[in-house]
Amino acid sequence: MEKPLNYSYYPGCSLHASAGEYDLSTRELFKALNIQLTEIPDWFCCGATPAHNVDELLSLSLCAKNLELADQIEGDVAVACAACFSRLKTAQHVLGESAVKRKQVEKALDAPLKLDGNVKHLLEILAKDFGLERLAAAVNKPLTGLKVACYYGCLLTRPTDVPNLDCVEAPTIMEKVIEAVGATTVPWTHRMECCGANFTLSRPGVVIQLTGAVLDSAKAAGADCIMVGCPLCHGNLDIRQKEIEGVYNVQYGLPVFYLTQLVGLSVGLGSDKLGMDAMIVNPTPLLREKNLL
Amino acid sequence: MKKKKMIISQETMDVDFVRKVEALSGTSVRRCFQCGKCSAGCPMATFMEHPPNRVVRLLQLGQWQRILAGRSIWYCASCETCSTRCPNKVHLASIMDALRKLSWDAEGASKESYVQLANKLFLQNIRTYGRQYEMRLAAVFNVKSGQFLKDLMLGPKLLAKGKLKMFHSKNKNMSEIEKIFSRIEAMRKNGEAL
Amino acid sequence: MSRIGVFICHCGENISRTVDVERVAAEVGKMPGVSFSTDYKYMCSDPGQNLLKNAIQEQKLTHIVVAACSPRMHEKTFRKAVEAAGLNPYLCEMANIREHCSWVHENKEEATVKATEIVGMMVERVKKNRVLPTITVPVTKRSLVIGGGIAGIQAALDIADCGHEVVLVEREPSIGGHMAQLSETFPTLDCSQCIMTPKMVDVANHPKIKLYTYSEIELVEGYIGNFQVTIKKKARSVDEDRCTGCGVCMTKCPQKKIPNKFDQNIGMRTAIYVPFPQAVPNTPVIDRDNCTWYKTGKCGVCQKVCGPGAVDFEQQDQLVVEPVGAIVVATGFDLYTIDEKPKGSPIKGYGEFGHGKIPDVIDGMTFERLASASGPTGGKILRPSDGKEPKQIVFIQCIGSRAREKGISYCSKVCCMYTAKHTMLYHHKVHDGQAYVFFMDARTPGKSYDEFWRRSIEEEEAVYIRGMVSRLYQKGDKIVVMGSDIAVGVQVEIEADMVVLATAIQPQKGAELLAQKLGISYDKYNFYSEAHAKLRPVECATAGIYLAGACQGPKDIPETVSQASAAAAKVMTLFSKDQLEREPIVARVKESGCVGCFACKKVCAYGAVEEKEIRDRQGNLIKTVAFVNPGVCAGCGTCQATCPSKSVELDGYTDEQVIAMIEAL
Repeated sequence: MEKPLNYSYYPGCSLHASAGEYDLSTRELFKALNIQLTEIPDWFCCGATPAHNVDELLSLSLCAKNLELADQIEGDVAVACAACFSRLKTAQHVLGESAVKRKQVEKALDAPLKLDGNVKHLLEILAKDFGLERLAAAVNKPLTGLKVACYYGCLLTRPTDVPNLDCVEAPTIMEKVIEAVGATTVPWTHRMECCGANFTLSRPGVVIQLTGAVLDSAKAAGADCIMVGCPLCHGNLDIRQKEIEGVYNVQYGLPVFYLTQLVGLSVGLGSDKLGMDAMIVNPTPLLREKNLL
Repeated sequence: MKKKKMIISQETMDVDFVRKVEALSGTSVRRCFQCGKCSAGCPMATFMEHPPNRVVRLLQLGQWQRILAGRSIWYCASCETCSTRCPNKVHLASIMDALRKLSWDAEGASKESYVQLANKLFLQNIRTYGRQYEMRLAAVFNVKSGQFLKDLMLGPKLLAKGKLKMFHSKNKNMSEIEKIFSRIEAMRKNGEAL
Repeated sequence: MSRIGVFICHCGENISRTVDVERVAAEVGKMPGVSFSTDYKYMCSDPGQNLLKNAIQEQKLTHIVVAACSPRMHEKTFRKAVEAAGLNPYLCEMANIREHCSWVHENKEEATVKATEIVGMMVERVKKNRVLPTITVPVTKRSLVIGGGIAGIQAALDIADCGHEVVLVEREPSIGGHMAQLSETFPTLDCSQCIMTPKMVDVANHPKIKLYTYSEIELVEGYIGNFQVTIKKKARSVDEDRCTGCGVCMTKCPQKKIPNKFDQNIGMRTAIYVPFPQAVPNTPVIDRDNCTWYKTGKCGVCQKVCGPGAVDFEQQDQLVVEPVGAIVVATGFDLYTIDEKPKGSPIKGYGEFGHGKIPDVIDGMTFERLASASGPTGGKILRPSDGKEPKQIVFIQCIGSRAREKGISYCSKVCCMYTAKHTMLYHHKVHDGQAYVFFMDARTPGKSYDEFWRRSIEEEEAVYIRGMVSRLYQKGDKIVVMGSDIAVGVQVEIEADMVVLATAIQPQKGAELLAQKLGISYDKYNFYSEAHAKLRPVECATAGIYLAGACQGPKDIPETVSQASAAAAKVMTLFSKDQLEREPIVARVKESGCVGCFACKKVCAYGAVEEKEIRDRQGNLIKTVAFVNPGVCAGCGTCQATCPSKSVELDGYTDEQVIAMIEAL
């Protein structure tokens, strides 16, 4: 028997609050696939966009601190949130390039830096470490007939040479994962346009405009639903969908799934283990229609 | 609005400021040849009074006051599209970060933005709780920004779905996070970091 | 006892600004062996050279050191002057106190001390210099031209018109190159075919030109004046002598849907084909990858219908050796594509433009084929996807060029002009259409060029938008162009029917492999390098090889033709003498020390090392030693550094000379 895969797990703040279903479905899916996740004890917030936005040194220090905490646990670092993933990867990149900044962060932490941990987004773990073939083999309820619009947003692939998750402009990793479990993907124009997550709190008007364009594009492409790998994108697409429909007087009715929810469904996990009831846009009618519930 | 004529001389071109931006962002400002590809792809350009390419242009001329007085840098979404597509590998998203950082101490910089308030509360939360406390962040933001009714309709729904946690456990290692914040403050005071 | 003369140059102020030349002259004058030492403002000028010549005669000097610029610049100049004064030229050395000293230092005191030391080293070195006799080699007065585009054609015609034989080798089935693909040419809008095809016919009919098409260079041996070139004639499957070019085979071939590369794959051709009707030679080629006979062993229609019986399925590749004295390289360019590049490639594609998967996003050359009267649409501008006429057409310049993020930072030079031309051709053909151009700068230096560009805007009503495009995507049957106008400071969005990308000019595929065969140098983009950017722009550093056209860097047609004629003139200069004089800086083997390990032979990049048998008087073999052919040796010194028994010496750079320099320090 193959050795089970082991990871230290960095859920990030949202997964402990507004994105509880992402956390739940991740843990359940990985358990089902026999991939071990050990949550990093007492991890801190990575600082997300607000920290690097005004204080790069703080952002780098927070990320370096988290990598130091992750270093205590065997295995690569599994990250669920695209923003946390982007910050941790950026910190590794910047601190690898700039000796000046590395010195400053060492001083802020008052400890030598431990930056070597391999930071991986869940997508990478499923597609590359676990492997698409094994994933396909684990399916017992293929998502046949479900037309999925895969939404990458900004931070999974950009900028060039930093996350190195996939091609920076034309990624396919989400499509590959979800096609491996039987779903159909649609080509659409806005899969990498910004949803405006940075302004969720401060300028909801911006979010409504940008997220509206994303929803429009997914609908026009004939998608049944949207799949995301980021709680911030999810927040905008799911939670604000109703509001956007009201502002533009349109009907989208697009359930927004986390990738772990859809993959979890395909390996036979029940909707209670995937937190489907936490979704604002109710997925039940769609899943019933496709015989997936 | 009447626009002031730009008087250009060695005195008015603040090269030191530009160097600080370059040190913080790790990118060259001079490399930009004003092709405008950043502005073409920026999802937020329509909200900005200076589109991204002009922010770099003003920086090349050392005219940071014109940039910081406006809201352009606060309307950057940090989506990294500009950095990704720049033909000259100018990391504009990092330049925006640097400009926002430098605006703290810059005279005449725009201070009124909601974005700044949100950022500030976000960082305060980290210092206090170690992690983000979304419920508190939203509530305090609404109070401080005077928008008591903002997103009021969303609240109960989110609570019902378990998306807003009323309580939040603190990290056990909180002293470490406080030390990081205070060490950085000390470094800045001693001039060891920008 | 040597009587050394030292001449220190001010190089205007280039040297004297940071080096106290008078002091250097005085210091050097005190060195043992130096009998004369002086300085002068411009040593390379006529009075400067006369100063040198007079001093040699008056002071009875035996060795000369000129302290000035790099020997790459003026070593020849001063050695000639020394020779004119009656000394062997190789008794003159240059001390480089410009590039190695004055240009790189600021402190005058320190630079002066360093300059004195540099000169001192050369004084010690020159004492060990020996008289070297000039080497002469015979010249084969035939030349090879590689590449049958406009550059190769022009060079071949010029050389052949002077009465020298030319071997012209072209990789494709026809000569003509990229110019044959163009519709009309800037800035006069004359039809490319009309000015090109007569030249192609001239090549075919010229008694002094031997044409090899569908052929490639396999191997190049030898040296200036005496190259042996092996050419691979790829099997055409058609006997060139028998074929009359009637074309019946092509009309009967059942494979009719093969994308034609000549038409940028938008037009179709048969499996037995000539790339275009005006091809030279007019002999078809069978594309074996797509021919039914080669794939299944059945069909053979072309063979059955061929009256003269020219179709030969059994034909094999053939190797031919041609002796030539000079080589003109004119391999031209290739166009950058926006496709996804293989991982690890230094060049990247444009994912933001859909990696070439949007059918109506085409490149400039494809537009040329659409606009060409002999093209696949008969000169109508029609979309590849659905054959509709585009009413809103967007041109985007600098795709791949000036994009260091994509791995290319140079300007491709011709795109501003051809895009302006494209807007005119479009306006002439689609009267109710509108052309838009996204650009950064309009680079239009050249006779009547800027006027041409302005005409496209002022008379032909093209709308130029200063700004680049961030993204292109398909929306229904339109292409959304997300651009910006930096003059206004706003985002611009255009829903276009067709988009034409002015993609970068790159060297021809495989350019670096040919360079390695020829032993010529190339830059990081694989453009071939000239010997000197300003003073030897058409010569390679490797003697006897010359450059013409875009293989050296992006060029338009007038420039290419000028350079081709210049290369031809250089070849004719070489052919004007029966014997060629060469610098005697060559390696020599001390046969007594050589143990015959041939480590030198393995490292010699020029194939100059041969094996030589040493026999006693009875003819018994004593040993086999290395022998350096002085005609081939390029004087690089690699063998000298490699020889384990120290039995190879490079004349002019002997160990003795180098050690003397080091000891002088």
